[in-house]
Amino acid sequence: MSTVPGVAPAATTTTAPKPVVDVQGLVKSFDGRVVLNDVDVRVWPGKILSIIGQSGGGKTTLMRCINLLEVPDRGRIEIAGETVFSGTRVVCRDLARLRQSVGMVFQRFHLFPHLTAVENVMLAQMKARRAGEDQALENAVRLLRRVHLAHRGLAFPEQMSGGEQQRVAIARALALQPKVLLFDEPTSALDPESTREVLRVMRELADDGMTMIIVTHEVPFARRISDWVVFVDGGVIVEQGPPADVLDRPAEARTKAFLTAFDEPAAAS
Amino acid sequence: MFKVDWAQYAPDLLSGLKNTLIYTALGFAGAAVLGLLLALMRTSKTRLLRWPAGAYTEVFKNIPLIVIIYMGYYGLAGDPFDINLGVMQAAVLSLAIFYAAYLSEIFRAALVGVHSGQREAAQALGLNRMTTFGSVIFPQGVRLALAGTNTMAVDMLKSSSLLVIISAGELFQVGKSASSATFRTMEVMLVIAAIYFAMCYPLSQGLLWLERRMHDGAPLSPRRARRLRKARAMLGVAQVGVAS
Repeated sequence: MSTVPGVAPAATTTTAPKPVVDVQGLVKSFDGRVVLNDVDVRVWPGKILSIIGQSGGGKTTLMRCINLLEVPDRGRIEIAGETVFSGTRVVCRDLARLRQSVGMVFQRFHLFPHLTAVENVMLAQMKARRAGEDQALENAVRLLRRVHLAHRGLAFPEQMSGGEQQRVAIARALALQPKVLLFDEPTSALDPESTREVLRVMRELADDGMTMIIVTHEVPFARRISDWVVFVDGGVIVEQGPPADVLDRPAEARTKAFLTAFDEPAAAS
Repeated sequence: MFKVDWAQYAPDLLSGLKNTLIYTALGFAGAAVLGLLLALMRTSKTRLLRWPAGAYTEVFKNIPLIVIIYMGYYGLAGDPFDINLGVMQAAVLSLAIFYAAYLSEIFRAALVGVHSGQREAAQALGLNRMTTFGSVIFPQGVRLALAGTNTMAVDMLKSSSLLVIISAGELFQVGKSASSATFRTMEVMLVIAAIYFAMCYPLSQGLLWLERRMHDGAPLSPRRARRLRKARAMLGVAQVGVAS
């Protein structure tokens, strides 16, 4: 690995590409309870960062701060070189445009239930990008093929399995050609078969060079796919590094405890 | 049993029918617009918007319609106000004001009923607030609101008969005149009832049909129908498990 993602000292940035996502000193609390405390995360183009850790440890909040669905208390966030949050304020003038460059996939899909799969993928292209109908449709069909769902293009969300819905959600998030895709526990609401379908699509995206941040409980998957793994607990980054280090030879006691507790049930999948 | 010379009353009945439909259509349009505005105010984060909308709803939900009609036509014309509304204005206005209170309750519940994840998903896709509402929240809210709105529409059509107290010339008033002229109250009222039924029943059935179509996700606009046809052609292969 030539470029190291994460917050390793910037000595290795020989070709110096800009990080796609650069989060520094992020602090976020809800009603006085600190959920994220001075968190730094950096993701380089084409790299995949996995965030693991217990539920309620701040992983999801970290994701939601990146596209400013949640407004941090303090810190600095840069997306593709543009500062969108600085100090205590949102400095991005056009939140809608920022979010078009940061795709997001939710745990519970949140497809638009009144629209067919293909319309779900078309909507943002036409409404946020003002693409013409034909162009949006062509793109949507291409993306549905990419997630292996062209045959379900006219189905409504309630007619689809969880795995199908999540794959449509991925196609929907890809429709605006985001610079980075955020996955918030994308398989936590799915059965094993659906989980396999979704992980397969994610692996294909990774092979295509998509930059991704993945909050996941699928430790074996994270080990295979990630360039960098961050273990978050109690609102702080406890440990981070290449998956072989963090997941196989964790240095911190908390990471070890988490992984042993996790490995037993996860071993089956 | 039927002895009234109905041919003689046909023009009156037709005009009464026409008036009833006009009052209901305009009153309902007004109530829907005002009701949606009130519902948006009541779901707002700003207390300054929430409070007056809530007060409005409580006040007008708890006053009889007939009192509002009477106030609108006679009350406003009197001393401190001196506002002389025409029969049409007073009729439409009072129906709109009264039913807006009920519709705002239905619309508010529908808006709140749309899952919060929907707004987030729309935001995460870079849709602005207007588009999020127009393309994501509103269409789903309409589906949730349709059943209650249906009931209110039929109720308004029937309650427009209360406009008789301001001599609005609607269907019930025509019947009342006919019955005092002929003294055949039961016969006349049976006919009037039949006409109301003949309007209300198809209206509610039509709205039920619309509700089912919407629930099935069927395209209601030609533009969406065309879009789906295009999509079907482009997706090519047989579609699995698709609603028509």
